[in-house]
Amino acid sequence: MKEIDARGLACPAPVLQTKAAIEEANPNVIKVIVDNEASKQNVCRFLKSRNYETSVQEEGSDFHVTGKREAGFAPEVSTHEKSTTGGKKIMVMLATDRMGFGDDELGLKLMISYIKTLKEMGPELWRLVFVNNGVKLTIKGSEVLPVLKGYEKDGLHIMVCGTCLTHFDLLDKKQVGETTNMLDIVTAMQLADKVINI
Amino acid sequence: MEFPTDPNLIVGMDSMDDAGVYKITDDIAIIQTVDFFTPIVDDPYWFGQIAVANALSDVYAMGGVPKTAMNIVCFPINQMDISILRKIIQGGLDKMKEADVVLVGGHSVEDKELKYGLSVTGFIHPDRILTKKNLKVGDRLILTKPIGTGIINTAIKGGLASKEVIKFVTHLMATLNRDAAQVIEGFPVHACTDITGFGLIGHVAEMVVDSDFGISLWSEKIPIIPEAFDYAAMGLVPAGAYKNREFRKCMVDISPSVKQTVLDILYDPQTSGGLLICVERESAVALVNELKKKGIDDAAVIAEVLSEPNEKIVVS
Repeated sequence: MKEIDARGLACPAPVLQTKAAIEEANPNVIKVIVDNEASKQNVCRFLKSRNYETSVQEEGSDFHVTGKREAGFAPEVSTHEKSTTGGKKIMVMLATDRMGFGDDELGLKLMISYIKTLKEMGPELWRLVFVNNGVKLTIKGSEVLPVLKGYEKDGLHIMVCGTCLTHFDLLDKKQVGETTNMLDIVTAMQLADKVINI
Repeated sequence: MEFPTDPNLIVGMDSMDDAGVYKITDDIAIIQTVDFFTPIVDDPYWFGQIAVANALSDVYAMGGVPKTAMNIVCFPINQMDISILRKIIQGGLDKMKEADVVLVGGHSVEDKELKYGLSVTGFIHPDRILTKKNLKVGDRLILTKPIGTGIINTAIKGGLASKEVIKFVTHLMATLNRDAAQVIEGFPVHACTDITGFGLIGHVAEMVVDSDFGISLWSEKIPIIPEAFDYAAMGLVPAGAYKNREFRKCMVDISPSVKQTVLDILYDPQTSGGLLICVERESAVALVNELKKKGIDDAAVIAEVLSEPNEKIVVS
């Protein structure tokens, strides 16, 4: 278990320390000690955004925030989604920024049109996951950026592969979606009723 | 506490309003306000601009025209290069010029922490003062700038904000509320305030407290900086937002469909936020259109004044 003592630190420092610890070791259990209400809630929020289940114990004037995560088990995701969509959960995984093979120019046009048209799936569209060359659709200058931002604002969960962004040196250019890891992607696949690969 | 009284004091300490107003003649009153704070962006020139836009905003929010200003400076002269202060002052001066405000003096003290702001004096007609009261049932509330700057500023502090979003919020915070204030002159506006440290809900709460009406806030209509959703979900919520919520949550009824991140943003303390304008229902759309014509693209109708529940904000 990873433990962080973030007492005496003001926002956003406790969140940044938690983020660094998760990115470094990707622990399944993490404990963060903070000494104020705002940091407690912010660390809980951050852990939930990384699919940890959180619990808080008060020890004197300190808060011990514990985050737990198991492979294939993401209670935050499943309970929330059931209440909002009700119907089928469709996950669309885009591993390329071109649709089909042959002409690249045509492939890009098709991909732009595909992403713009995806909304026709309605509320069943549950996750949009970008991996490999697909992550290039989420960065500055991408023609579909406004469309994706619109989807995200409407509540669609967009996941972008962190390893892929790092590989292309695009980590700081990503403009939409949440940077994610393989565990989250595998978990999402398991929870989805249908996975569409492009 | 008991404050000195004067028959010419129209808006004073007891009314929780944006600025004080003192009547000189039947046609003219002076309006006074002061505001200064620690840097919120790294660039000193832009910090100067933002501090001035923020200080002048209280005058605009009450329907006044700022005329003169005095600099207030706290500066760690032994630890920081004086050129930084020059850039701050230059940024402030450029913003004052844009607002047709003259700098008439100022005062500086040595301090461990850098702070900059203004004391501002303006003119206002004694019969045309816009306060946070006088709302009527059925009125609509219009917001002129998107919210979420506190959360974005926390992300900037954490080194997690993109260059694009930093540039966007910097310009947003440095934008004067003057144009919006000029547009509302021709409309049946009943009340007005600006959105700052108490967050959108905190400032709406000041309008409904001690009143016989409530306000229905339409969360989906509120202009929000898109990146604020991401950063709020990541826990980059400033401590001030939690304090604002603790203070006002007893006045707020929230529909279950409103997401936590949206609520965080509604309580998020703003720097140099937009005007919140209360206008007669029939004129609301026309006023938004007129604001947009002046380049205030984010202006939107975000709320309605209800006959009940009294002194409550209903967020849907």
